[in-house]
Amino acid sequence: MRNHDDEVIISYFLRAGVLISVSFIIVGVIILFAKNGGDGFTLSQMSSYNYALAHGIDSRSVSLNKILSGLSAIDGLYFITVGLWVLIFTPITVVFIGWISFLDDKNYLYVGMASIVLFNLFFAMLVVPRFLI
Amino acid sequence: MTLILIIVKFLTIIFGSIIAGFIGSLTGLGGGTVLVPVLTLFYGIPFIFAAGASLISTIATSAGSASAYTKKKIANIKIGIGLEIATTTGAIVGSLTLVFIDKHALIWVVYVIFGLVLLFSLIPTIKKIGKEVPPEMKPDWSTKLFQLTGSYYDERLRKTIKYHGVRWWLGEIVMFFAGFVSGLLGIGSGALKVLGMDWAMNLPMKVTTTSSNFMIGITAATGSSIYWYEGYINLFIAAATAIGVLIGAFFGAKVLVRISNENIRWIFFAILSFLGFDMVFKGLHLINFLITFSLMIQFFISVIISIVLIGVLFYNSKRKEWGSKNAKS
Repeated sequence: MRNHDDEVIISYFLRAGVLISVSFIIVGVIILFAKNGGDGFTLSQMSSYNYALAHGIDSRSVSLNKILSGLSAIDGLYFITVGLWVLIFTPITVVFIGWISFLDDKNYLYVGMASIVLFNLFFAMLVVPRFLI
Repeated sequence: MTLILIIVKFLTIIFGSIIAGFIGSLTGLGGGTVLVPVLTLFYGIPFIFAAGASLISTIATSAGSASAYTKKKIANIKIGIGLEIATTTGAIVGSLTLVFIDKHALIWVVYVIFGLVLLFSLIPTIKKIGKEVPPEMKPDWSTKLFQLTGSYYDERLRKTIKYHGVRWWLGEIVMFFAGFVSGLLGIGSGALKVLGMDWAMNLPMKVTTTSSNFMIGITAATGSSIYWYEGYINLFIAAATAIGVLIGAFFGAKVLVRISNENIRWIFFAILSFLGFDMVFKGLHLINFLITFSLMIQFFISVIISIVLIGVLFYNSKRKEWGSKNAKS
C-alpha cells in the first residue's frame, strides 16, 4: 500500500458499512417490537431460545428471496436481515479495495493473494451452502 | 406484560454485549471470545445461537474498531490480507466441523474445546509477558518476499516505530488454526491471530492487536455466511448482540490507543483464564463427567483458580523487575 489514502478510504468504508447495517438493525428491532413479531412468528416465540431452536425460527426460516417483499411489507425481521447481510459484506469490500490498490501498485503477488481471499469468501457464501442443504 | 419482559430480555443481552465488546476490543480478542461464554453461561442461550450471534457481531466490532485504527495507520492492511488466505480457508473448514458436531449431538465437545483453546493460547503469552517491544530478530527470506515491513506512530512513546515481520509461513499456519477456531467456536479468535503475528512473526503488540481486529471481520464474514444457511443465527439475539458489541467496541477502541502494551497483556490473560476454566467445566457438566456440581459453584471455582493463577504469574513477572531495580540501587 504505497498510497496511504487507501487506509483512509478503507476506514470510511468500514464506518459506512457499520452505520448502514446498524441503522437497518435498529429500525428492524423497533418494527419488530411495534408489530410484536415478524415473518409469521411472535416475539415470544423468537425470544424463547429453546422453542426457536426446536421449531427452526432462525436464519433458515428467513428466505433471502423474500427480502424485497419483506421490506415493502415493513417486516422488522427483514430489516434486521438486510442489516446483518450489509455487515457480512462490509469486510469483503475492504479486501476488494485492497485488491484494487495492490493492482494499482503493480504488486502482483498481493493481487494474487487478495484474489484467493475473495475466492474463499464467495466460496463460503455461494458454493458451500449448496452442499449443506 | 410479556412484551415488557421481552424488551427487558433484549436490553439485558445488549448490556452483556456492551461489556463483551469493550473487553474484546481492548484486548484484540474480538467481542466473541467473551460474548459466547456470557451468552451460554449466564443467559442460557443454546451454543449454536450464541456462536451465530457472536460471529456476526464480531464483524461489527472488527469493522467499527478497525475503522479507527486503520485511520491512525497502526494496522498493517497488507500483512493482514496476506494472512487472510489461511484464516478464511480455516473458517470454512471450522464452520463445517461445527455443523458436523451439531448434527451428531456432540456440542459438549465444543465447550471443552472452547475452554482448552483459551487456556492453551495462554502459554506463549505468559512467556513474553512484560515485554513492550518484541526482541529484535533478523529479517528472513519471507520478510523481503512478502514485504512484511511497516511503521506506526506510538502516541504514548511519542515516536514513530519501524518494524519488520519474520517467518511468514509460520504465521500462515497459526492463522489457519485461528480461522478454524473462529468457524468452529463462533468467535473472532483474535487471541490466536495475535499469537500468530506476535509470537510467530515477531510484530509489535500494537500492530498485532489492531491488524488482528481488522482481520477478524473478514474471517467472521466467511463463517457467518455458512452459519446463516445452517440456521445458527437467531435474529432476535443477533440484533441485540450486534448493537451491544458495537457500542462496547467503540469505547474499547477509545481506551486502547492510550494504554500501555503491558496492561493489554494482563487483561488479556485474566479474562482468558477465567472463561477458559468455566467453559471446560460447562462442557464436562453437560455429560456429567467429573463436574457434577452446579453452575454457580463452577463459576466461583473458575474465578478462584484464575485469580490465584494470575496473581502468582503477575507476582512472578514483577519480582524480576523489582529484583533488577534493587540490584541497580
